Amino acid sequence: MEAQHLQVTSGLSFAEPEVDALLKHSVRTQLESLLTQKLTVEQRVQQLQQSFVDATTLVLSDTETQHQVLVKAFDAMYDQAVQSMALAGLSQALLTRQYVSASGLIMSPHNCKHTIKDVYRIKGYARGIDQAIQSKLKHVSSITVLYPACGPFAPLLLPLLSYYKDSQKFTGQQIQVILADVHPGAILALTQLVKDLQLDEYILCIEEVDATEYKPKESIDLLVLEAMQHGFTKEGQLSIAKHLVQFLKIDGWMIPQNISVRGMMVIGETEFNQQWKEVEYSHSLNTDTDAQRDRVELGELMSINKSTLLNMQELELQDGVKVIQASQVTLPVDVDDMDKRILAVYAHIDTFAQEGVGQYDSGITHPRPDMTFYIDTKPRDVEHTHFVANSGDTVQFYYQLTGLPGFVPVKV
Amino acid sequence: MKKYAFFTGGCQSLTAIQYLHQSGQLACVVLVDAQPTPDLMQLQHWLQQSGIKTLAYNLSDDTDLLSQLDSLAVNRGLIYLFRHKVRPALIQYFSGHLVNIHPSPLPDYRGPFPLYWQLRNGEDKTKLTLHQVTELLDCGDIATDLEIEIHPFDTISCVQYKVAQALPELVAKYCQLDEKQGITWHKQDEKSDKTAPQVEQQQLIVNWHKQTSKQVVNMARAGNADAGCALFQFRQEMFQLLQASVVESPLIGVQAGTVIEVDRHTGLVIKTINGALRLDVIGTQQGVFDGYRFAVLFGLEAGFTLNN
Ligand SMILES: C[S@@+](CC[C@H](N)C(=O)[O-])C[C@H]1O[C@@H](n2cnc3c(N)ncnc32)[C@H](O)[C@@H]1O
Repeated sequence: MEAQHLQVTSGLSFAEPEVDALLKHSVRTQLESLLTQKLTVEQRVQQLQQSFVDATTLVLSDTETQHQVLVKAFDAMYDQAVQSMALAGLSQALLTRQYVSASGLIMSPHNCKHTIKDVYRIKGYARGIDQAIQSKLKHVSSITVLYPACGPFAPLLLPLLSYYKDSQKFTGQQIQVILADVHPGAILALTQLVKDLQLDEYILCIEEVDATEYKPKESIDLLVLEAMQHGFTKEGQLSIAKHLVQFLKIDGWMIPQNISVRGMMVIGETEFNQQWKEVEYSHSLNTDTDAQRDRVELGELMSINKSTLLNMQELELQDGVKVIQASQVTLPVDVDDMDKRILAVYAHIDTFAQEGVGQYDSGITHPRPDMTFYIDTKPRDVEHTHFVANSGDTVQFYYQLTGLPGFVPVKV
Repeated sequence: MKKYAFFTGGCQSLTAIQYLHQSGQLACVVLVDAQPTPDLMQLQHWLQQSGIKTLAYNLSDDTDLLSQLDSLAVNRGLIYLFRHKVRPALIQYFSGHLVNIHPSPLPDYRGPFPLYWQLRNGEDKTKLTLHQVTELLDCGDIATDLEIEIHPFDTISCVQYKVAQALPELVAKYCQLDEKQGITWHKQDEKSDKTAPQVEQQQLIVNWHKQTSKQVVNMARAGNADAGCALFQFRQEMFQLLQASVVESPLIGVQAGTVIEVDRHTGLVIKTINGALRLDVIGTQQGVFDGYRFAVLFGLEAGFTLNN
C-alpha cells in the first residue's frame, strides 16, 4: 500500500505546481526553494518529514533549547508545510474563504497556515499530549484521539505523530486519530499533508464537519482542542469543547485539561509596551516584575475543564443568543488610577501534567485589551456596546457562545 | 407669441433648451456669472455653436438683465438647475410666468438635493414638477408634472439622465397648456416630512449601529458617483462604498458592522442591524475593487468590526 502510494505520487511533476496566485505570492520563497532545489518527490517528502521530526525532538527534549533555535526549526517546518499546501491545489476560493458561523469564527486556510510557527503553543501542547498518550498507553493497547478544528496542518498532532513514527515510539496500532475541520480547504490541505508525512497508519479518518455538531462513532480517549483567540474570543472553543466532551470515555481526558481565563485592569502603556521594551521576545518567562506588580487582577472569569464543561448551564437570551454564566467580580475600590486602566482578559492553558501555555507565550494566551469596558470614567462617544461601571460595583460576567464568542459584563 | 428665457447652470438642461430652441420659443439662456465649472463651460460652448443668445445673471443686481430681457421681448421664464434664489424684481417681471422645474413630487423633497434624498430614501418613483416661482423656494403653485420611475438599481447619475430625457416632454406639456390658456394652478400642501437639504459630511458615513441593510444600499447608490458618495471607515481610513446589496443572514450574537464573510463568490459580507449586506464595489485611493479583493488586499478579516 505504502509503496504503491509513493509510486503514484512520484509520477507527478512537482517542478511547476499549479498554485493559486495568492498563495504563490505569500509563500514565494518556499516555492522558489522547491524549484531551485529540483527535488524528487521522495526528497521533498523526506525533508518535510525531517522538519516535523526535528521541531518535535527539540520541544520534547528536557534540555533547554535557545529561542532562536526553536524559531528556526519551526520556520523550517512551516516552509515545508506550505509547500505541501501549495501542492494540495486549493482553489483561491477555498484558500481564502472565511466567515462567522453560528458558534464562532472560521478562519481561512490562508490565514491558519501560520499557527504551525507558534512555537510555545505547540510546545505546550505537544509535551502535554505526549505525556497523556504515554500514560494512557500504559494501561490500554490502543487509544482514539479526536482533534477537532485542527486546521490545514493539525499542528498540535502531526509533528508529534511524525516524531512517533520516526522514533518508533508508538505505532498506528496504538494511536488512532480523528482529524476534523469544517473548512473544505483545510481538509484538502490536511489530506495532502498527512499523505506527504506518510502518517496514514495513525489517521482513523479526516472529517469535514462542524465540530459543534459532530458525533464521533468511537468513544474518545483524548480530545485535543485549540480553537480560541486571545482573550478567549472569536473562535468556538467553548461550544466545541462543551459538545464533544460528552463523547469522552469516563476516564478520557481533554487537552488542555484546564483553561483559566482571567481579567485584570492594566495601564495599557505599561502592560503592552514598556514591559516588552528590553526583551528579545514576549513570553511568560520574560514578563517584567514591575509591570506585573502594577496590574490590578480581577480574578478568574471562567475555568474550562472536563468537569466544568459537563456542568455548564446554557442560558438563552430573548434574542436567541446563548450565554454561560461566568464569575462575579467586585471592582476594587482602593485603586486611585482606575479611570486610566483598561480591562485585559487573558488565558492560562494547562495542557497536561505540568505542561501548558502561559500568558504571552502564544497569540492565544496573549492578554486582550477590551476598549469597551470603562471604570470610573466615561467613553468619549456613547455607543450601546460600551460598559460603564464604578469602583466597588459588582459585575457579573457572561460568556457568549453565539456568533462571535467572548465575555459580556453586566452590572449587578 | 411666447418667448422664453431659460435659467440654468449645467448641461443637464440641454434637452429642454433644445426643445424650446427647435420649437422657436427660445429667446435666450441666462447663465450665472460666476466661476465656470467644466459642465458650465461645455454648456456655453454648445450654446455658442447653436447660435443661442446667452445673458449673464448678475449675483447682486437685476437691472441689466431686466432691460436685456425686455429688449428681447421675453415674456416666459423657465428655471432648471439654477441653484440661485431669484430676486423679487425678476419674479415680478414675468408676472406669474416664471416657472421652475423641481425633480420631486412637491411638496416632498423641497431643497437643494431632491434626487439624492429620494434615492437614499428608496423611493421607487419621482416626479418632475413644474411650479410657479415665488419668494419661498419650491413652494409655488403647480402647473403640471411628469412621473418618472426609479429602477431599484438606479444610481443618482441614472436618475439624472432619466430626468434629462423627460424634460422636453414636461416643457412641451406646459407650453401646450399655456398656448391654450389651459393651465390650472394647484396649491401645494404647506408641509411635508420629506425634505432634501444639503448633505452633511457626517451623513455620508455609514452608521452600522443605526442603518438597515436597505438604507446602506440606497445610500451607496444615491452617492454613486457623485460628491455625496457613501463612506465607511476602516483603520482610520475612509473608503467609498459605491454599491452594496442586501443579503440574508440568520446569524445572531454579532455586532452590526462586523465582517461575517469573505469569499471569492459570495463577496464581502457585513452584519447589519437587520440582516446583512454585501459590499459590492469599493472605491479607494488605489483604485476600485469588489468587496472580496478589497478585503484580501486591505486585510479586512472575518470577525473584524468596522466602526462608525
Ligand atoms: C486557527 S485554525 C487551526 C487551529 C489549530 N488547532 C492550531 O493550533 O493551529 C482554526 C481552524 O478551526 C476550524 N474551525 C473553527 N471552528 C470550527 C468548528 N466549529 N468546527 C470545525 N472546525 C472549526 C477552522 O475551519 C480552521 O481551519
